[in-house]
Amino acid sequence: MYACIYIPNASGDSSAALIDCATTFSPRVESTSAGIVVFDAEGLERLFGSYSEIALKVADAARERGLEANIAVAANPDAAICAARGFGGITVLNRGSEKSRLRDLPLTVLAPSQEILETIERWGIRTLGAFARLPAVQISERLGQEGVQLYKLAQGASMRPIVPHADALRFVEIIELDYEIETIEPLTFILSRMLDQLCSRMRSRNRATHEVRLRLGTHMRVLKLPLPVRNPRLLTKLLILDLEAHPPGAAVKRVEVEAIPTKPRVVQNGLFVPLSPEPEKLELTLARLKAVVGEENVGAAEILDTHRPDAFRMEKFHLGERGSLRMGMDSTTTSSCSLSLRLFRPPLEATVQLRNAAPSWIAFHGVHGSIITARGPWRTSGDWWRPNMWDREEWDIEVCDVFYRIYYDVHLDRWYAQGAYD
Amino acid sequence: MFGISGNVSVYFMQSVILRARLESAFGERIPSPFTDLDRRVFENVPTGIATLDTLTGGIPRGAITEICGPPSSGRTSAMVSILAEANAQDEVCALVDGNNAFDPISAAAAGIDLTRLLWVRCRKLDEVLKSTDLLLQGGGFGRVVMDLTDLPVSHARSISLASWFRFQRTIEKTPTVLLVMSSESVVKSAAAMVFRTEMHGSEWSTVFNGLNSSIEIVRSRRARSLKSYVRVHLHSECVR
Repeated sequence: MYACIYIPNASGDSSAALIDCATTFSPRVESTSAGIVVFDAEGLERLFGSYSEIALKVADAARERGLEANIAVAANPDAAICAARGFGGITVLNRGSEKSRLRDLPLTVLAPSQEILETIERWGIRTLGAFARLPAVQISERLGQEGVQLYKLAQGASMRPIVPHADALRFVEIIELDYEIETIEPLTFILSRMLDQLCSRMRSRNRATHEVRLRLGTHMRVLKLPLPVRNPRLLTKLLILDLEAHPPGAAVKRVEVEAIPTKPRVVQNGLFVPLSPEPEKLELTLARLKAVVGEENVGAAEILDTHRPDAFRMEKFHLGERGSLRMGMDSTTTSSCSLSLRLFRPPLEATVQLRNAAPSWIAFHGVHGSIITARGPWRTSGDWWRPNMWDREEWDIEVCDVFYRIYYDVHLDRWYAQGAYD
Repeated sequence: MFGISGNVSVYFMQSVILRARLESAFGERIPSPFTDLDRRVFENVPTGIATLDTLTGGIPRGAITEICGPPSSGRTSAMVSILAEANAQDEVCALVDGNNAFDPISAAAAGIDLTRLLWVRCRKLDEVLKSTDLLLQGGGFGRVVMDLTDLPVSHARSISLASWFRFQRTIEKTPTVLLVMSSESVVKSAAAMVFRTEMHGSEWSTVFNGLNSSIEIVRSRRARSLKSYVRVHLHSECVR
């Protein structure tokens, strides 16, 4: 048995949704023409019940995708197509009853060429039943092979194998707008609808995405995710936050969203797993934080392999392997504690007076006074072959009960306060 | 009618007296025996400073802990110790840095796993508040540090008590610890625990060896012990 899903007046972008809808029921799906999909329903009774129940479920699945479709089930694909075209709603043709059930349908359900249709109508033939009663040999003589094919279809006796749809697994949604959009807010609704469709299609193929490409005319944004996601709300929020940070330069008339498919994430959580944020929520939090403080100010610090003071870079924060860096390190509770440094970024220029080649008085940024204790200098230099070389003499000093690290920049011949011990 | 309401008021008075007697009898061992269990019991996590953990039992989850004190009193060192301890338990932490003053190099040397520390660098109080709110709403962080130490005191004071109570309500039923760092106590009654740090001398040889600091427990919802402060030596191995 074969089932046909037919959408009267189908638009071009409904084909993908139709195929997805059919694929949820059977792997053997034929995309016959625009708005018509046929799939092999043989053996589905064990999963979904009788053919009437299957047809009902198919109609529900189509409705979930926003498609109002006619569903027909018949013993051969062409009879199913004729029935879907001819009858509204759900139709089930039992095996052997095709000819009798289809007889009252108009000839247009066979989708004949205009020339043949006019010829047949000139004979006074209006229905499939009347056409099926004509002698086959004379039809062959007058209408040729196409006429014979239509004659078999009218009898509901055409048997042909379906041509399975070869899926390229591209998840793309495109909307051409009648009027240009100039602000981001209306885009939220459009993107939300498109991503709903994409995620629904990905779910039906058991796929998720780790990369979403958004094209707004010539403006293109790529959203890379550290984990596979198929949550439309999350993707919409992430795309909107990204667009707020990088708005399109011109009004938008065409929106294209493509999701690169990948296998969905499968996680087995445990009772004793250490506390960490949910990856999907974390992505959203990071995107919102970037909108507040700027992209370069959120992340994980990575110390650079150099002796240059305060050399680090901000990396994208993501949850890697748990405990990968601290393997074998246990909690070390001690009575003493490491002293920490708070840095002034950028270093504060200071006025320093020397006595016996050691700093004795300092003034910088509201701090001034005699230096009670000073230890140093610790000389450090590097990258002398580069324009951003450094060459400095560092001192630890105590001023007014506060301990600072200061340095003398040999190259610039100036003193700076680098930070305070705390 | 009068007799029934009279009996009710007598029973009510008796129950109030009984409750007061029981609370008095339990004393400091069980501070609030009739409080809702969910609200009363705080699971504590260690700070990484042994003497402080012995004295306090650690800092409470689902509540605000505040560390305040003047510069060079050991506030940042205590914060780094708390974050390192959380990282040692494989928990993910976040630091909202009010003035971009965090030194990742000395922090990594002190035991912080930088890959499990989300660092948010702010320049304004508004950014600090918004970022902290987002992190607490997002959830899942073991410790969230809100560093206000380098912001002007007037700015820190301008944060309304309602904001602190909102933060406290956000994390109340979660395992997150919100650690607030400031020059002077600003969280007030929304804090479950307040520490004040103070410097008590420095150690110098040919190099700067470190500081001696005291950490005083100014406020705690747990039972108070007789001693209310600990002395901590802050060694300079990680910064030199």
